[in-house]
Amino acid sequence: MAANYWESTQRRHWQFTRQQLEDLRKKLEDEDQNLVQMYPLPQVRHLSIYFNQQVSRIGKRLGVRQQAMATAQLYIRRFYSKVEIRRTNPYLVIATAVYLACKMEECPHHIRLVASEGRTLWPGMYFFSNDTSKLGECEFFLISEMSSQMIVHHPYRSLTSLQGLFSLTQEESALAWSIINDHYMTDLPLLFAPHIIAIMAILLSLVLRPNTTGIQSASGSAGTIANAAQTALGSAGQFKPTGEKQGSTPRTKVQKLANWLVESSIDIEAIVDCIQEIISFYEVQEQYNEKLTREQINRFVKARGLDK
Amino acid sequence: MFPGRRPPFHPADRGLGPNVGYQSKVRVIDRYKVIGFISSGTYGRVYKAVGRHGQVGEFAIKKFKPDKEGEQIQYTGISQSAVREMALCSELSHPNIIKLIEIILEDKCIFMVFEYAEHDLLQIIHHHTQPTRHPIPPSTVKSIMFQLLNGCQYLHANWVLHRDLKPANIMVTSGGEVKIGDLGLARLFNKPLHSLFSGDKVVVTIWYRAPELLLGSRHYTPAIDMWAVGCIFAELLSLRPIFKGEEAKMDSKKTVPFQRNQMQKIVDIMGLPAKEKWPHLVNMPEYSQLSTLSASTHPKSGSNLEKWYYSTINSHSATSNPSSNASLGAEGYKLLSGLLEYDPERRLTAQQALQHPFFSTGDKVSSNCFEGVKMEYPHRRVSQDDNDIRTSSLPGTKRSGLPDDSRPVKRLKE
Repeated sequence: MAANYWESTQRRHWQFTRQQLEDLRKKLEDEDQNLVQMYPLPQVRHLSIYFNQQVSRIGKRLGVRQQAMATAQLYIRRFYSKVEIRRTNPYLVIATAVYLACKMEECPHHIRLVASEGRTLWPGMYFFSNDTSKLGECEFFLISEMSSQMIVHHPYRSLTSLQGLFSLTQEESALAWSIINDHYMTDLPLLFAPHIIAIMAILLSLVLRPNTTGIQSASGSAGTIANAAQTALGSAGQFKPTGEKQGSTPRTKVQKLANWLVESSIDIEAIVDCIQEIISFYEVQEQYNEKLTREQINRFVKARGLDK
Repeated sequence: MFPGRRPPFHPADRGLGPNVGYQSKVRVIDRYKVIGFISSGTYGRVYKAVGRHGQVGEFAIKKFKPDKEGEQIQYTGISQSAVREMALCSELSHPNIIKLIEIILEDKCIFMVFEYAEHDLLQIIHHHTQPTRHPIPPSTVKSIMFQLLNGCQYLHANWVLHRDLKPANIMVTSGGEVKIGDLGLARLFNKPLHSLFSGDKVVVTIWYRAPELLLGSRHYTPAIDMWAVGCIFAELLSLRPIFKGEEAKMDSKKTVPFQRNQMQKIVDIMGLPAKEKWPHLVNMPEYSQLSTLSASTHPKSGSNLEKWYYSTINSHSATSNPSSNASLGAEGYKLLSGLLEYDPERRLTAQQALQHPFFSTGDKVSSNCFEGVKMEYPHRRVSQDDNDIRTSSLPGTKRSGLPDDSRPVKRLKE
């Protein structure tokens, strides 16, 4: 339930294996292969980066807190696991997800304001004469596809409760926080429990030198990070690190985290899996082309008349 | 997930294109047969229904009506309270919380399908005033209180505040199971982005409103629900609201007025709150208003609650009524005074109340509140006036047989 992830609808209905997620997406594409061939789209992670940027833009204009934006991003990801993107106007879906997430996160905005911010942000792509009504209609669609399961568990709370235990510095906490922000651009929130994500973020924040200003600057050496993280975990004796030899004097905090993981019943393999996923995301992020992504989205929206 | 009904268009194309609007995958009238109309409120209407596809039992379908702009019904965005109710009901699962079966979003309306409960506490209490007052059997009171607290404990453990507990919102099935209903005002309190106060300025039907809210507190805690539970306990014993105040309406400036009359009703029985017993009392925004209230006869003697309690539970024993509540005894008073504790920090929590000796002394608490009760309570009135769940043009007039206690002022005038 609300306080209990284990009994939540998130765990029971919105946590998938990679295979399940792949099957869901394949099924959507198979439903109308013509449509898919006619309008090629960038890979899911690049689309997610684009959506993240748009959510941030409308969120900033509305003064929305990070957690509500995270909720909106999760709604969008859930929605597009059930609905073929080319059948929707993603700008409308983004505006609607933000509108709905704000209500759920107790920072509501009037539907007219959200609609008009969308009109300003995405001129031409989002030009409905009756845009509040369209947004209201899309809200029905969104809620229906999510089966009204709108309460989400974020890793931020786990991070807040664990940062003291591992004596994270302010920089380390901030870095972990920004890694959590980034994970909404990956499938991780549909694959792993929020506390697994939080531990992944803490571990990475410790492995990345605290003097690193941000994850972007570190992403160049993604391979090194992955190895360092694995080595750190491996030193706890839970699994064999790939290739790298042990004993590269992991810092004491990492050691403490690793020991804690061994004593807890937390799935270490899942954490390693998460680390690899986010690292490979940072690599993919380097090839992201905003212009191309925008053009490909706008093309099907225009061609299919989804902007009207 | 839903049994199939093939729409006339491409099954996946129910989106937001220029020609095809949103279509529900499932239609409420295909799934349910409406057998009557139960009640209506500001949100919409409630219907009684049975399943068309062998779904077991009966159902209550709560239909939220769409806002109308002129003649044309438009999508205007779902109210925050409806969104909360939909989200919370989808998440909650407990024997003492009314169970949500499904939600259907169709034709600009929201249909929330719940398990059906034959009775509610308002109706049960009312029944015991007819034709003359006769007390609710003590075993029933005990069972209702235990189940009610059990439901509250679950809500609070999950960071949910109900905020509108009152007899009309507590359902009872024909099998004697208590089900907390109507989570229309409920919300999570674990991490409010804004102060809980800023959201909705006034919550909880005034007779059940906790003193800290009346005194302008901005920090809601589960204790406000526990005060309401205390009021409900008292009402189960006396068959009338214990603090039946008159609501002061908001003035033209939309400032929330001090609810003097309601606070006075509380002070009449509980005495004035004292800062020695309630340290944060002096910090309450409306603290200064307290001095304008008239204290009961002996300001220092404190509460008249004990007197109120014993005269209530003994009031029927004179007529040698075998089902007298006198058997609830001293532990009943202790539980009541623990729930009606002024200081929200010292008020019993649901967890503490469940551990109270009241439930472990005397007869064992039954999970069926009607166990051993010979008489039968009348069934919920279901009218046949409006069986068309799809008609959205009917005005939301009240048609149920019982008065709605959400409008205390109106009821007082009757």
